[in-house]
Amino acid sequence: MVVTQGSEEKGPEEKTAEVMAIEMVLARLLRIGSLLAAALLSVGILAMVLGQTDFAPKLITAGLLVLLCTPVMRVLVAGVIFVWEKDWHFAFFCLVVLCAMAAGVFFGRGA
Amino acid sequence: MVLTFIEIFMIGIGAGVVGSMLGLGGGIIIVPALTLCFGMSMRTAVAASTVSIIATSTGAAVAYLRDRLTNTRVAIWLEMGTATGALSGALIAGFINQRLLYILFGLLLSYSTYNMFRTRNAELPTGVVPDALSQKLRLTGSYYDKALGHRVDYQVTRTIHGLILMYFSGAAAGLLGIGAGIFKVPAMDQVMRMPFKASTATSNFMIGVTAASAAVVYFARGDVKPLVAGPVVLGVLLGAVVGARLMVRMKANRIRLCFIPLIAYTAVEMIYRGVKWW
Repeated sequence: MVVTQGSEEKGPEEKTAEVMAIEMVLARLLRIGSLLAAALLSVGILAMVLGQTDFAPKLITAGLLVLLCTPVMRVLVAGVIFVWEKDWHFAFFCLVVLCAMAAGVFFGRGA
Repeated sequence: MVLTFIEIFMIGIGAGVVGSMLGLGGGIIIVPALTLCFGMSMRTAVAASTVSIIATSTGAAVAYLRDRLTNTRVAIWLEMGTATGALSGALIAGFINQRLLYILFGLLLSYSTYNMFRTRNAELPTGVVPDALSQKLRLTGSYYDKALGHRVDYQVTRTIHGLILMYFSGAAAGLLGIGAGIFKVPAMDQVMRMPFKASTATSNFMIGVTAASAAVVYFARGDVKPLVAGPVVLGVLLGAVVGARLMVRMKANRIRLCFIPLIAYTAVEMIYRGVKWW
């Protein structure tokens, strides 16, 4: 994982390294999220098939919730990386996205 | 029960492969399959489909990010439009004539179908002049195309137009509960002139975010049934990983040819929903 220091002047090579870093971090995050969710879901479904009917749905729900968190985490982590790189425009864009998501959940629950 | 699980799982795999390759949510397959073949309620099917949109997005994004097909900067710029659009769509849903909206968005999709058909032989966009905002925000990208065997460099144009379109696509998702990716791919491909493969990969990346806030609401209402959503989502995750592996090796024209019938069908279906009278 390559993390460039936040210097004022960046050459073109450094810029590509930067773009690589954010994509690799996000890829790793999404991979962990999907593997964890897949593991919880498969164990849950297997438990259901084996007749553990009160325990299994909880495992499956846990898997679905892990999956649900990955996009939110993804925006959050991207925002942190942009702040780290002092890319204020994109850090602000991430903040807008997170606020709109939170407001969507807030108003959606009331409906 | 085991048989039902396997059947739902298989549908999930199919939806995951198609959805991840075309940058769509796969609801176009999952919702009819669950309601028509398994007799489930619309609420259960839509909730399961919304969670599986996240699965398509997350499962395929790992491969697309590694292959540099996903443009994270463009994705975050446009997510502002989809997220605020979805929010305003949900807020004004009660005050708006849905029938008119269906016709309006149906016509917009018909126009994109026509455009997509017209450019069906263009592998990569040519003669793109990036606008000032795209240069200021460095909305560039480059990836190694495994089907063409060379590197593709690009920069988007009509940056603001793209954002406005995403706002309306988000509003459509919030108001009508449709169009996870079907509006996003044409907006990036035709308006912002991104290469088609980068457009579907970036759309795939973005749909997870819009779906996540809707999914939280479905969870809170208790519409997400673990025994239905579990097998679908597991299948979709697997299908999305396979679909993403296939897509990076395919030519853009092939993928576009698969996309055209789906967008044409959605356009017709939406106009039909708008004009049918009861």
